[in-house]
Amino acid sequence: MVAELKYEISQNAYIKLVLHALKHKTTAVNGILLGRVNPQNDSVVEIADSVPLFHSNLALLPSLEIALIMIEEHYGSKGLGIVGYFHANERFDDAELGIVAKNIGDHICRYFPQAAIFLLDNKKLEALPMGKDQSPVMQLYIRDASKNWKLAGPDGGSRLVIKEPAANAVLSDYISSEKWQDVVDFDDHLDDIKKSIQGVELSQLAHFRGFECVFELMGEVA
Amino acid sequence: MLLEAKGSWAEAEKAYSSLLEDNPLDQAIHKRRVAMAKAQGNISVAIEWLNKYLEIFMADHDAWRELADIYLSLQMYKQAAFCYEELLLSHPTVPLYHLTYADVLYTLGGLENLQTAKKYYASTIDLTRGKNTRALLGICLCTSAIAQLSKGRSKEDKESPELQSLAAKVLEKEYKQRAADKLGLVTSALRSLKI
Repeated sequence: MVAELKYEISQNAYIKLVLHALKHKTTAVNGILLGRVNPQNDSVVEIADSVPLFHSNLALLPSLEIALIMIEEHYGSKGLGIVGYFHANERFDDAELGIVAKNIGDHICRYFPQAAIFLLDNKKLEALPMGKDQSPVMQLYIRDASKNWKLAGPDGGSRLVIKEPAANAVLSDYISSEKWQDVVDFDDHLDDIKKSIQGVELSQLAHFRGFECVFELMGEVA
Repeated sequence: MLLEAKGSWAEAEKAYSSLLEDNPLDQAIHKRRVAMAKAQGNISVAIEWLNKYLEIFMADHDAWRELADIYLSLQMYKQAAFCYEELLLSHPTVPLYHLTYADVLYTLGGLENLQTAKKYYASTIDLTRGKNTRALLGICLCTSAIAQLSKGRSKEDKESPELQSLAAKVLEKEYKQRAADKLGLVTSALRSLKI
């Protein structure tokens, strides 16, 4: 039985996933969330990084298996494990958690029982540039006692927050500068192994832009 | 199509139906109707219409692929496999179809499917002259899955381990040449597959 958990996603991981979804607007995409339980507070799951996986044939096993093996290997050495799964549906108005996402989520839960699924909220994403909403453009799904995936409501229970409050501002910035073209996912890597999935440049830039955006926000508030 | 883009589904449907009355064999319009059903989320209707369309226009390989995609998103792997079989019959030299068919068979699982999948990964490698990373990885995955399933069945042991080690060697060589920083990951992944 999952107690009330707080899922805290880092700006870097968050932005990578949303940009990946934006890069492949016409298909469903998915990704893996990496992190660990906060050592000082075990009701907080920290998502430190994410790996965008596929934009085609999400329901096929072979590439998923290889991806999971390699991801676990790579991040295991950094002390991070697979803590969740991200999914974005193909259609704009499809806000349902599909069967493929649930199955992959179930599989991850076998190794990390508190695993969560984040589903991209298309309507929130669309409204992003217009508002000052700091909450993530994703919906949180967790497994209840009967192993069914349930949407975590805003009225209590588990919730999803972004670690850096200005993340949405940075994301809007990236969207307008079309930074999603730089995202490389596992599909791209399998098609051309020279392409590296890490997207380091993205994370370093995010760090700096984060500060600038905080100043912008502060300026507006003051 | 303008009506579609504006979201006036009912009117678009009327427009298409009347166009089809004039010309019942217009492929593009049939496909637009399927696309509309899919866009509205009526997946079962989309499947039904797409199947009807394919009964008439069996040679439309894009339509077969679209149908296979829809089946896959619903995890109806057997039906997706059937679509790919049709594609393979009509286009036997397209490596993508061999590869995806192999992927579907692997996902279905079971000893026979895995053995067939391995054969199709091998034919993909044949058609792409050894350059397809997914097919090479597929061989390794298949071999290890077959080995797991047939533990204790001694007659299966004559499955050549050479194919897997050859595929592994080619993979490592490719990674060394083109993505050396990932080589360690691949090597340990392959090792974990060899049981």
